[in-house]
Amino acid sequence: MKRLLLAAALLTAASVLAQADGAAETQIKAAFLYKFGGFVEWPMRAFQRPDSPFMIGVLGADAVAADLELVVAGRTVQGRPIAVRKLKRGEPFASLHVLFVGHAESARMAEILVAAKGQPLLIVTESEDALSHGSMINFVAVGDKVRFDVALPQAERGQLRISARLLAVARKVISG
Amino acid sequence: MFYCQADFCEMAGLTTSTSCRRRAVARLGAAISFAALASVASSVLAQQAKLAELADLSIEELANLEITSVSRRAERLADAAASIFVVTGDDIRHSGVTSLPEALRLAPNLQVARVDARQYAISARGFNGTVANKLLVRLDGRTVYTPLFSGVFWDAQDVFIEDVERIEVISGPGATLWGANAVNGVINVSTRPASETKGMLAFAGIGNRESAIGARYGTDLGDGALRVYGKAFNRDNTFRANGADVPDGWHNGQAGFRADWGTPASGFTLQGDAYRGTIDQLAPGDVRISGGNLLARWSRQLAAGDRLQVQAYFDHTDREIPGSFAERLDTFDVEFQHAFQAAERHFVTWGGGHRHSRDHVSNTPVLAFLPADPALRWTNLFVQDEIELGDRLRFTAGAKIESNPYTGWELLPSARLTWKPDVKRMVWGAVSRAVRAPARLDRELFVPGQPPFVLAGGPDFRSEISNVFELGYRAQPSARISYSLTAFHSVHDHLRTLEPIGGGAFIIGNKMEGNTNGLETWGSFQAAENWRLGAGALFLDQDLRFKPGSGDVNLASAGNDPKRQFSLRSSLDLRGNQEFDLMLRYVSRLPNPAVPSYTALDVRYALRLRKNLELSVTAQNLLERRHPEFGAAATRSEIERGLFFKLKHSL
Repeated sequence: MKRLLLAAALLTAASVLAQADGAAETQIKAAFLYKFGGFVEWPMRAFQRPDSPFMIGVLGADAVAADLELVVAGRTVQGRPIAVRKLKRGEPFASLHVLFVGHAESARMAEILVAAKGQPLLIVTESEDALSHGSMINFVAVGDKVRFDVALPQAERGQLRISARLLAVARKVISG
Repeated sequence: MFYCQADFCEMAGLTTSTSCRRRAVARLGAAISFAALASVASSVLAQQAKLAELADLSIEELANLEITSVSRRAERLADAAASIFVVTGDDIRHSGVTSLPEALRLAPNLQVARVDARQYAISARGFNGTVANKLLVRLDGRTVYTPLFSGVFWDAQDVFIEDVERIEVISGPGATLWGANAVNGVINVSTRPASETKGMLAFAGIGNRESAIGARYGTDLGDGALRVYGKAFNRDNTFRANGADVPDGWHNGQAGFRADWGTPASGFTLQGDAYRGTIDQLAPGDVRISGGNLLARWSRQLAAGDRLQVQAYFDHTDREIPGSFAERLDTFDVEFQHAFQAAERHFVTWGGGHRHSRDHVSNTPVLAFLPADPALRWTNLFVQDEIELGDRLRFTAGAKIESNPYTGWELLPSARLTWKPDVKRMVWGAVSRAVRAPARLDRELFVPGQPPFVLAGGPDFRSEISNVFELGYRAQPSARISYSLTAFHSVHDHLRTLEPIGGGAFIIGNKMEGNTNGLETWGSFQAAENWRLGAGALFLDQDLRFKPGSGDVNLASAGNDPKRQFSLRSSLDLRGNQEFDLMLRYVSRLPNPAVPSYTALDVRYALRLRKNLELSVTAQNLLERRHPEFGAAATRSEIERGLFFKLKHSL
C-alpha cells in the first residue's frame, strides 16, 4: 500500500511538472489576452448593459483558456468584471468582446472568421496567415518571445479602435 | 485574490472557475494520497501567483518576456537580487543617442562623463576616470576589456545602435558570475537576434557635432536568419573653455554581421564586427584604431529545463597613439555554463572559462610596458546554487575561483537573499567579495621608456579587494508605477597608490583603503497611455585614506566622482506619428580636478513622415553653449550644444 501511494504521488508530481513545463507560452498569451482589453475601444453597442461583463471566448486552445481564468481572477477590464468562455465548434460569438482561436483550429480559420466578420469583436489568433483571413491580432514567436502582428483594416471594420501604445509593441502593423 | 462563483459559473455555462478547479483537484488528490494532494495544491497556488504577476506586467514588459529559458520559468527583472537597471532598445531610440557611451547615460546607476570627442570616463559607485578599472562590459557575451588597465577603450567599442535590444546595467559586484573586474558593476549589451531584424534599415544624420550614415539588411538563411550592417561617422572636434579648438575629431567606420539558428535557448549564433578609425592629434600624428572580432555561441535546452551553453570568441585590436605607445592585442576566450535543477529546491549554475591574450606594446621614449609582449592567461571556475527556502524566500550562494597572470588564484564568493512578501514587492540583500586583479598598468608600466625610471612598475602590486554589503527594495504598487531603491556599503582595501622608493623614483603599491557608501534609486511612472516618465537619483559618499607606511599624497588618483546625480525623463507619443522626448540630468561638482556641477537638457522630436520614414531632431545640452564633464581646467575639453537631424528609412 505504501509503495502504491508513493508511486501515485510520483505520478502526480510528474504530471504537475509536465504541465508546468509546457505552460509558459500559453501563460504569456493568456496575459496578453487580458491586457489587450485595456488598449482597445469597443463601440457602445458591444455592451448590452452598462454593467455587462467583459467576455473573452477561447476556441481550440484549452490550455490558454485555463491560464486565462487564473489571470483574470479578481480583475476587471474597463471597470467590467471579466468572464472567460471555452467555446465549442459552431457556438455563436454574440456577446463576446474578444475571441481567441488557437492552433488547433487553424485549418478551419477562414470558415470561423467569416462568422465573426463585421462584429465588434477583437479576433486574436496564433496561426500563420490568420490576418489574411480576418484576424486582427496574430501571435508570433520571435526568438524566445511572444510578439504579435496587428491588422488595422479588419479592426476598423469591426469598429474597434486600437491604441497607439499597443501598436508600438506590435512586431508588425498592417494598415490600409 | 479571486471570487468563488462556482454556482454562477456552472449556471452560465462558463468553464469552471479557479476555485471550482481547485475543488476538483482536491477531490482527485484525496483519492490518491495526502502527499500528492499537497503537492498539486501548492503547485496550482504557485501557478496562480505566477499568472497574477504576468497580468501585472505592462504590455511592453510582456512583449519582452522570455518564454521560459531556464527550467521553463518565465523570469523577469523584478526577481533579480541586484541593483539592475535595463535600458531597452526603445529607450535608446527615444533618446536619439548615436553611441554606446551616450546610451549609458540613460542608466541612473552609472556615472558617465564625456572627456573629449572620443573618450569617456564611465563607472558605477565611484572610482571614475579615463582608465576606470572596476567595471566589466560585455557586448553580446564578448568581454570588451583591455588587460592594459583592466578597463574599456570606449572609442573601440561600437554597435549598430538601432539593433540593440537591451543594455543591462548592474551596479555592484557581479564577480561570482562575471569574474574579477566586476567590482563595481557589470554592463551587458545585447543586440537583437537576426530573426528580429529582417529587412532593410538605412539612416543618415547630420548635425553641428557629428554626421553619420548606416544601413542594415536582414534576411532568412536556411532555417535561421542573418543580418549584415555597415556604418560610418565623423565626430567633430571639441573646444577648450576659451573657445580654442581641440584637435580631436574622430572618423570611424564599422561593419559586421550576426547569424542565428534556432532560438536563444536552444540554438547557434555566429557574429562578428570589424572597425577602423582615426582620431586627430596635433602632433606627432593621428591616433589610429582598428580591430575585429568573431564569436560563436551554442546553447542547448536539455531535458527537464537544464541548459548548456558554450561560447568562444577571438578579438583583435590595434591602437597606435604616436608619441605615447602602440598596442596590438589578440584575445581568444572560451567559456561554458551549465544550469540544472540539482534537487527539489536547488537550482545550480556552474561553469568555467579560459582566456588567452597576447598583448604587444610598442614602447616609446615616453613610457614603456615591460615586458613588451607577454602572453597572458586567465582561467576560472564557478558554481552558484539558488535555494528556494519557501514560497517567498530565496537564498543564492556562489563562488568563483579565477587565476590571473600576476597573483594566481583569487576567490570571489557572494551570498544573496530575496524575500517577496507578495507579487508586487521584493526586498533583497547581498554580501560579496570582489577582487580587481592586477592589470599591466599596475605591474609593468615604466616611465620614461628607458632607465633611469621615475616610475618603475609595481613589482609587488597585489589585487585590490572590495567587500560589499547591499540592501535593496523594489516595488510595483500598480501597473503604472515601479521603483527601486538600493543602499550599499563597500569596504575597500589594497587600492592602488604611488610609493616613493628614494632618488625621486616611484613604484606602484597597494596602500590605500576606505569605504564607499551610497544610495541608488529610480522609478518610472506611466502618466497616461502615451506618456511615460522616469526619474533617477544617485548619492555617493567616499572616504578614502592612505594606510600607515604609504608615501603617496594624492588620494584623487583613485577617481573623481560627483556626490549627487539626478535625472528626469519624459517620453510622449503624439497622435501615433510623433514622439517628443526630454531628458534632464544634473551632475554635482567633481572634487579633484575640480569640475563644476552641470545641468544638461536633451530634447528629441520625431515625426513619422510616412509609414517607413522617420525624421527626428535631437538637441543635446540645450541649456549651455558648452560645459566640461571631466579633467583639469587647463587641458580639458568642453562639450558643446549639439543639434542632430536624422532620417531613418525601414522596409
